[in-house]
Amino acid sequence: MSFQEEAMINCIVRITFILCLIFPGSAFAGVPLETVKGYADKVLDVLRDPALKAEAAKKTKKDKLRAISEKMFDFTELSKRTLAQNWSKFNPEQQKEFVELYTSLLEDAYANKIMAYTDEKMVFSTEVALTEKTVEVRSTVLRKNGDIPIYYRVIMKDGSWRVYDVVVEGVSLISNYRSQFREILANKTPESLLETLRKKVGKA
Amino acid sequence: MKLIYNFILISVLMLCPASLRADTSSTAMDTAQSHGPETSMATQILSDANSDTNEVAQKQLEFTPPDEKTIIVLPQRNEAEAKEAQEAAPAENETVTEAEEEGPRIHDPLAPVNKVMYHFNDRLYFWVLKPVTQVYSHIIPEDFRIIFGNVYDNLWAPSRMLNNLLQLRFKAAGNELIRFLFNSVAGIAGTADVARDALGIKKQEADFGQTLGHYGIGHCFYLVLPVFGPSSLRDGIGLAGDGLMYPLTYVSSSDLTFGESTGIYAHEKVNDTSFKIGDYESFKESAIDPYVSMRDAFVQHRKKEVEESKQ
Repeated sequence: MSFQEEAMINCIVRITFILCLIFPGSAFAGVPLETVKGYADKVLDVLRDPALKAEAAKKTKKDKLRAISEKMFDFTELSKRTLAQNWSKFNPEQQKEFVELYTSLLEDAYANKIMAYTDEKMVFSTEVALTEKTVEVRSTVLRKNGDIPIYYRVIMKDGSWRVYDVVVEGVSLISNYRSQFREILANKTPESLLETLRKKVGKA
Repeated sequence: MKLIYNFILISVLMLCPASLRADTSSTAMDTAQSHGPETSMATQILSDANSDTNEVAQKQLEFTPPDEKTIIVLPQRNEAEAKEAQEAAPAENETVTEAEEEGPRIHDPLAPVNKVMYHFNDRLYFWVLKPVTQVYSHIIPEDFRIIFGNVYDNLWAPSRMLNNLLQLRFKAAGNELIRFLFNSVAGIAGTADVARDALGIKKQEADFGQTLGHYGIGHCFYLVLPVFGPSSLRDGIGLAGDGLMYPLTYVSSSDLTFGESTGIYAHEKVNDTSFKIGDYESFKESAIDPYVSMRDAFVQHRKKEVEESKQ
């Protein structure tokens, strides 16, 4: 009896194994690209939606984008990587506020960049492993007078792939903001940086 | 003319050894960033080493005679702890600094002058270039603007070809030559990009500043040029060098007046901008300090282009 049970279990295990191979949804190679593609498509849908183009619908548009970007980006990771050594200059309250303001700023910046290309085709081509935990998903926007490469750098956190950097034509968003913040914080206090961000985000 | 050109080239090669170091250090930092697992592996190795030293310290403790144990243990434990703290702290700093301090930098000793020039270019865009381009796009349909763009692109082909050659990218140089010949003949005088549409050969961008970068010459310092925008000493010289490969430079000195050749350049610029209206505005909107943002974007972009030229 136990021998037959063992044989049956063996058989089930083998079949499950083969099923896992047949259905490549869990294959490593495609997951980051599919994840990023899914999010980017959702963002483009919101941006292209004619119902949301009116000024009055701006708030709903922002809320929808916020909902998507909260799942797409890892904002705490982003904030820490952007401020780097300057992170410790902020007290915990300021750090929290910074993450919020920086989140709004990045959402607007990313939406702006993508909005310029809403009428063009965005093609996701490959993914390149950067380190053990990070992958660079490569996409290209086909424009009339030249293609624009947009790379998303994603990191595996809590079981899902999240974007921690967007590189447009070789210019990393995080690196760019880092140099701006570094320049500002070299001459001013963290509080004044927060004030600048408040004004910037409030306006946008 | 050639003499002046050579002189400039040699002076650049002589005067920028400092930026050579700067560039290599930034690339080193970049590789440090991209080798993230190695830093985390390094911290792992360090923590393994710590546990190893602790084990060794414990073994040493075991071998000491019991009388001296109490006296010896404490200093050794403190030493081990101190060593651990020392090794952990730099390891942490390493991961933060190595991982976060990446990003190429550029010297900007002329910052005040550059800022003035930046604001000048900014006003030039909003007061002159943008309104003119908007009217131009309104009058001239897109198809014609694409044709004009193709013609100008074709005229820059010799420069691209030469630069690809200098960078020892022979396939790309060959491609550019094919493109130039095909587009000039089959695509009448470059109006149609036949090589791309029929043969699938895409433009292989290369400029002289990139060539100089390919051979290890650094930017030296940041320079904002009027009209041309963000540049550097190396790239400014690159622009001048490319100008020598531009057919119209030679035509205009003999057949056209200064006004006419400026007009042609202006037309090229307006035509090109007509596809890019909105880019600069969105860039400004997402930047907190547009001057710094533009400088950083320029440095990153050029670095990527130089890296591509080495592949």
